[in-house]
Amino acid sequence: MPVPLLKLDSVAKSFGAVQALKGVSFDLQRGEVHALLGENGAGKSTLIKIITGAHRPDTGTIEIDGRPVPHLTPATAHRLGIACIYQQPALFPHLTVAENIGLRLERVAPFSRINWPARRHRAELLLRRIGAGISHDAEVHALSMPEQQLVEIACALGAGAPIVIMDEPTSSLTQKEQHLLFNVVRELRANQIGVVYISHRMEEIFALADRVTVLRDGESVGTRWVRPPGADGATGNSPAPVTESELIKLMVGREISHLYPPPEGPPGNTVLSLRNVGCALSGVRNVSLEVRAGEIVGLAGLVGAGRTELARVLFGLTPADTGEIRINGRIVNIRSPQEAIACGIAYVPEDRRRHGVILDLPIAHNISMAVHRRIFPGSWLRLGAERRLASDYIRDLGVKAWGPEAPGNSLSGGNQQKVSLARWLATEPKLLILDEPTQGVDVGAKSEIHKIIRRLAAKGLAVLMISSDLTEVVGMSDRIAVMRAGAIISMLPGGSDAHTVMASALGQKEGVPA
Amino acid sequence: MSNSAVVIKRHFRELSVAAVFGVLLLVLAVIAPGFFSRQQLLTTLTAAAPVLIAACGMTLVIVCRQIDISIGSQFALCSMIAGLLAKAGLPMPVVALGAIASGGAMGAFNGALVAGLGLPSIVVTLATMVTWREALRWSREGEFVKDLPDHFQWFGLGQGGGQGVILIGAMLVFGVLVLAMKHLSAGRYVYAVGADRESARLAGIRPGAVTFVVFVIIGGLVGLAALLNAIRFADVDPKTGTGLELQAIAAAVIGGVAISGGRGNLWGVLAGVLLLASIAPALVFLQMPPQWEKAIQGAIILLAVAVDGWRTRKEANIG
Amino acid sequence: MTMSQAKSNWSWSWLRRLEALLVIVLVMELLIFSRTGTNFATRENMFETIKLSVEIGLLALVMTPVILTGGIDLSVGSLLALCAVGFGKFWRDAGLSWPLAAALTLGLGSLGGGLNALLITRLRLPPLIVTLGTFSLFRGLAEAITQGVDNFTGFPEDFLAFGQGYYGGVIPAQVPIFLVVAVMVWLLVHRTTFGRSFRAIGFSPEGARYAGLPVPQRMAIAYLLSGVATALAAMIYVARVGQAKADAGAGYELLAITAVVLGGTSIFGGVGTVTGTLLGVAALAVLKNGLQLSDQPSELAGILTGGLLLLALAGEAAMKKISARRGRLATLGASRGQSG
Repeated sequence: MPVPLLKLDSVAKSFGAVQALKGVSFDLQRGEVHALLGENGAGKSTLIKIITGAHRPDTGTIEIDGRPVPHLTPATAHRLGIACIYQQPALFPHLTVAENIGLRLERVAPFSRINWPARRHRAELLLRRIGAGISHDAEVHALSMPEQQLVEIACALGAGAPIVIMDEPTSSLTQKEQHLLFNVVRELRANQIGVVYISHRMEEIFALADRVTVLRDGESVGTRWVRPPGADGATGNSPAPVTESELIKLMVGREISHLYPPPEGPPGNTVLSLRNVGCALSGVRNVSLEVRAGEIVGLAGLVGAGRTELARVLFGLTPADTGEIRINGRIVNIRSPQEAIACGIAYVPEDRRRHGVILDLPIAHNISMAVHRRIFPGSWLRLGAERRLASDYIRDLGVKAWGPEAPGNSLSGGNQQKVSLARWLATEPKLLILDEPTQGVDVGAKSEIHKIIRRLAAKGLAVLMISSDLTEVVGMSDRIAVMRAGAIISMLPGGSDAHTVMASALGQKEGVPA
Repeated sequence: MSNSAVVIKRHFRELSVAAVFGVLLLVLAVIAPGFFSRQQLLTTLTAAAPVLIAACGMTLVIVCRQIDISIGSQFALCSMIAGLLAKAGLPMPVVALGAIASGGAMGAFNGALVAGLGLPSIVVTLATMVTWREALRWSREGEFVKDLPDHFQWFGLGQGGGQGVILIGAMLVFGVLVLAMKHLSAGRYVYAVGADRESARLAGIRPGAVTFVVFVIIGGLVGLAALLNAIRFADVDPKTGTGLELQAIAAAVIGGVAISGGRGNLWGVLAGVLLLASIAPALVFLQMPPQWEKAIQGAIILLAVAVDGWRTRKEANIG
Repeated sequence: MTMSQAKSNWSWSWLRRLEALLVIVLVMELLIFSRTGTNFATRENMFETIKLSVEIGLLALVMTPVILTGGIDLSVGSLLALCAVGFGKFWRDAGLSWPLAAALTLGLGSLGGGLNALLITRLRLPPLIVTLGTFSLFRGLAEAITQGVDNFTGFPEDFLAFGQGYYGGVIPAQVPIFLVVAVMVWLLVHRTTFGRSFRAIGFSPEGARYAGLPVPQRMAIAYLLSGVATALAAMIYVARVGQAKADAGAGYELLAITAVVLGGTSIFGGVGTVTGTLLGVAALAVLKNGLQLSDQPSELAGILTGGLLLLALAGEAAMKKISARRGRLATLGASRGQSG
């Protein structure tokens, strides 16, 4: 076996109480496309950040071309030729494509003259190699997100980096653009570049990858051949290529007996009823769904399936333009978060740090923020009432803080999530929408949050829970709605196994079509 | 889209300012052709030249996503220094250097605080504006710098020659900066840093160094502008330069430079400077009360930025 | 880090807040000037100082909520002039009684603030540029109305009393007005949900929106309030100096902003107190007065103010770095990547 281009050995990384990676080993050969597969929270992002030098591993070694690299920083990684293409392109919006590529790739002295024709020419060449139909003269802000990603790829290609990492590159590309991308990846491979390709999508992995490594809960649970090397002349033995169901099994694991709290009785009346709801701006199409009091409906699907978009429609951030929404039988027209709250809808957002909690403010202020009208009548603050409210929730939810005056940024992720939850529970909602409620939360807090959610449902709350953690979806939900491309494609009963859910999310229809 | 259509769309902003300016000129040509007399034109342009230079510097600062409201005080100080140096018998080239260098030094001070300590530029330049203005007032006590040597006013070349030098000087500066902002690597770095500091860093640019240099440049330019303005008169008024920061920022904003940084170009700023400089004399020639100048200036700023806002919203909804 | 350690770090940073330093500065000013200034430490002088600082004080008070939301209002000085001139026009040329003229002037102020509010919250334009435009526009309108020369004088005695009279021969008439407004603004910022909204918006406009706060409405209130208070300050100014000219209030906006930032309010929004602003106003007013009575050039006040402002900024930046470091230690693991 030739010396691998990149080799990670037993790399582990923890953030406080959360262990993101537990001793992962991974290697990448020249001219190989090595896919990295795993659910949200499996550790893919952390692994990538370690390879690009953004994080230092707690233990383990990194070798590039056989040489150990003890202190990998972003600058060193850049120098050693590790290029990464993220979902959010880091481009300059009001500069042209040619200039963006030029700024990234050129290493010239500040007082040198820019050779615009050369820049434009190089950009044109790179774009043509990718087959992207983008003008080098276009300003980046006028390009769509997929087009911007293609520009990023052009940069990586132009940099001649031997190691290229692509993080979910096709999540927002059309079919045609995906084919373009696949050709690019194949071209990279033909040029002996090693590509680490992160994806959820089976079809891509089977179309592109040579090998695939599956991550689950921070561990590598197996590396398999997708395209095994040709039969050995001597032994005639080549490893069998992996199958899709094998991969799904690896991703999901056996039914892990996390003790998820069971439902406590039959569901009650229908609280939320959606009929043909759509929002052109956010890509939600024709969603029909019902959530009853006391039940937890899990909303499963891949990243980009439209789950958060649906939540934002229900919460009034991007109002629906078609269809009918009913709360407790009454038709409602929700055009702003205030109206949503008035209808009894609460939304605990996915981005905890930017939308869920205002980190500079104390816990108490965060918790009371959505209920000013109720607990502060006449707009006068009643600090005593607020402190009591906050203390009650701190106690009920088990928030670990030195007091209600502690600022949000002094809390761990799990506790911040509890504060975010407390804010919305304080509104005494009829429908609670949770978006990735345990993302980035340590195991202990996860379990606590699950118990809390079940308790709330038992009290009569209707819960719609968006989650990319399959075991969580399967363990917590009474029913599972699977979304894909902005629509609900199937409804599965609670207790379905994770394999079924994943298969459905990937577009293989099972269960009752919605 | 055809090539010319793309160009028009991209430079819509600058073209629209130029169009407004063109309309104004048209109106004046019809109603008050006296505006275009050689003497009047020269007066208007030589008064506008220092503002153009300052506005070019301000453009760099704003594109870099900063602001400098201290240039009025810098201008006054540099004018004083120029006068005093001339009075001390130094030849004009040295005087010029002195003015530019003192401007650059003041800019460096601002730059060190903003780039080095990461302090917000609006408050830093507020502080330096007050400090320098008051320091100047203290030392001069309102007194003009008088009895300047003959070679001070108009560089000793007489009014025609002096005006020529001023105009050529302004055009040179403008030309150099237009070229530098488009064709010099360092010029493009300013756009990158203003658009996205972190992405710029990832591309190997040093945002702190770029920011610092930008402040030094505006300082030097303001020093030059102060000199070119001071030589129009026989003595130096310590109250000169009041309101310069407003004019420079207004010209930049009207010319399409976005306060959020990362975009804009000097041609629009040129149109903005000319437009603003024409308001006062236009009012005179149109026989309207001159006191309307500030109100019209304000209205134009608001209109320009409202149009920008509307266009940004339109882009965001479609994109 | 244990719980109690975290708590003591937090209160430590509160102690070190700029306000405490500002109090020290103020005390030092008082001590120094009572030594060097003639008649500084007298009751008359104290009241005179307060009397002269009322107009800037009012502007600074309402500038605080504006800056708390992360915005800024550069137009208050110009609006003051417009309202002063407007008041003169209502009273003299329209022949209205001065109370009616005053009411109309308050309306004029709210129109001015409303224009800012509309452009900033409805059209989502940057406050710096909008208020730069209105800074020019309002002053320009004042100059246009007066043709640059007109000067309204001869106001009735009972009006002038508000600016020149004394209660009990001791307390200047505008001081109770100022105190009332100060208390109202303090209550608004520190004891109502509006104040909470201002801070939330300043820290994170998106976060505030997701929490269901009506962001545009709350921001609009801040700018409207600024307009109304400016009108009030304008009338007190006119009452005090006995005349209304278009050059009134020149430079007042910068003094107001200086007082607010000196008082510990962050120019980025979210952080700040009304008490801090009042301390800032006091520090500036005492500085000016003390230097005058100590026979020092008044320019020294400006120079020292600039220096104080820079020190305040440097202090704020240092404290931010320290609390960020502690915050980072406490929230390890809170960040999560895109594909997890």
